[in-house]
Amino acid sequence: MALEGKLVVLREERREDQRLFAALRNDLETQAWPKALPPDYTEEMHVKRFEGLEFTYERTSARLVIEEKSSGRAAGFVSYTGERHRISASIGIVVAKEFWGTGTALDAQETLLRFLFEELGLREVHLWTHSGLPKAIGLAEKSGFAVCIRLRESVYKFGELFDAVIMSLAREDYYARHLDIVDRLPSVELGAKEMSPCTNR
Amino acid sequence: MTETRSGFAFRSGNVALRVFEPGDAPALLAYLNSPSLAGRRYLPDGFPDCAPLSMRQVEAVIEQWQKENESWTLAATDAASGSLVGYARADWEWDPHCPGACVVISPDHQQRGFGSAALSVALTYLFEETPAHVVSGWMSSWNESAIALARRAGFTEAGRRPRAGVHAGAFYSEVAFDLLRMEWTRHKEVRRGA
Repeated sequence: MALEGKLVVLREERREDQRLFAALRNDLETQAWPKALPPDYTEEMHVKRFEGLEFTYERTSARLVIEEKSSGRAAGFVSYTGERHRISASIGIVVAKEFWGTGTALDAQETLLRFLFEELGLREVHLWTHSGLPKAIGLAEKSGFAVCIRLRESVYKFGELFDAVIMSLAREDYYARHLDIVDRLPSVELGAKEMSPCTNR
Repeated sequence: MTETRSGFAFRSGNVALRVFEPGDAPALLAYLNSPSLAGRRYLPDGFPDCAPLSMRQVEAVIEQWQKENESWTLAATDAASGSLVGYARADWEWDPHCPGACVVISPDHQQRGFGSAALSVALTYLFEETPAHVVSGWMSSWNESAIALARRAGFTEAGRRPRAGVHAGAFYSEVAFDLLRMEWTRHKEVRRGA
C-alpha cells in the first residue's frame, strides 16, 4: 500500500529526483533552511548523497518524494526527522514553485501526517519555520498545527530578523479533525492529561 | 577605547570552569547516576538520558566533550575547593546568531549558587566572545529548578511543545526560553547595581 493522498503519492527517492533536489536547494526561497546556504549544490553532490544511503531497519527519519498523481511529475519532498519512537517527530516540506497554490503541499502534508499518526503511532508532530514565511505557517495551520514556541529574532534571512516558530500538532487534535478514523492507541498517562499549551498566536 | 582584557576568564562568583580530564570520570559517574538527574543530563546524542551509565560510557562522554569544536562543555568546579560541582555548555554549532546554553549541577551541590554562576559564564562567553544575538535554553516542564534558574538569569519563556516525552506517568512538555543580547546587558547592569 503506497502513501497515497487525493492529489499525490509519496514515494521513495530515486536517482532521477536528484536534479530537482539540487534546484530546490539552490533557490533561497525553497531551500527550507532558516539560514541561507550558498546556491552551489550540484546534481552530482545530491547523487553522491543518495548513493551513500544504506539499508537499515533502525529509522528515525525519512524523505519521501511528492509525486503528482495526474502527471507523474515530482513536485518536491516531505520529510520527518528526529523521530522518537511512539512519541514525536519533526516534519519538513519543500515544493517547487510551479506547484505552489495547487493543493499539492497540503495533500502531501496530510498524507505524511496520516502515516506518522496511524502507522508510527506518534503522540505529537511538530515543525520549525519562521515568521518571515507566512505561507508555511498558513499551510501548517490548515492541517491543525498551532504555534507553541516563538524564539525571538533567532532567524536572519532575506536581510531581516525573524522569530523562529515551532508549530505542534498533538495526536488528539489530529484525530479530532479526522472523524473518518479512530484513535485506538492506548494512553500512557496514569493521571490527569496535560493540556496542549499551543495556541494559534 | 581599546579592549585590554588579555583573555576570557571562565570564572564567575563561586564557580571556575575548566576542561574535563579523564580523572573526573569517577566523580562525574557518581552524580550522573543520581536518580534526581535522570532525564536532565544533557549528554551528547547516543548516551542514555535516564538509564544508569557505566564508567566506560562516562569516559566516552568526556572524550567527546574534549573534541568539541563549535561548542564547549566544561567542568564546573567550586572556585574555593576545586571540587567538581557540575558542568556548563555553550553551543553555537547550528548558528552563532542563536546559540544555546545549559548547566547541570550535581544534586549534592544544588541551591548554592553554582548553577547561576556557571550559566553566567556561559552567557558572558556567548555574548562577549561570539556574535550571538539571542541565546536559547531548553528544558522539560517537570524540571522546575531549571525553569527557575532560567528566569533568574533574565530569560523569557518562548513557549512549550507538548508531548515531548513521558515522565512519572504523564506526558511532559519541552519548554523553551530565550534571552536577547540587549536584555542580557540590561539584566547584568541591574544585577551589578543591586
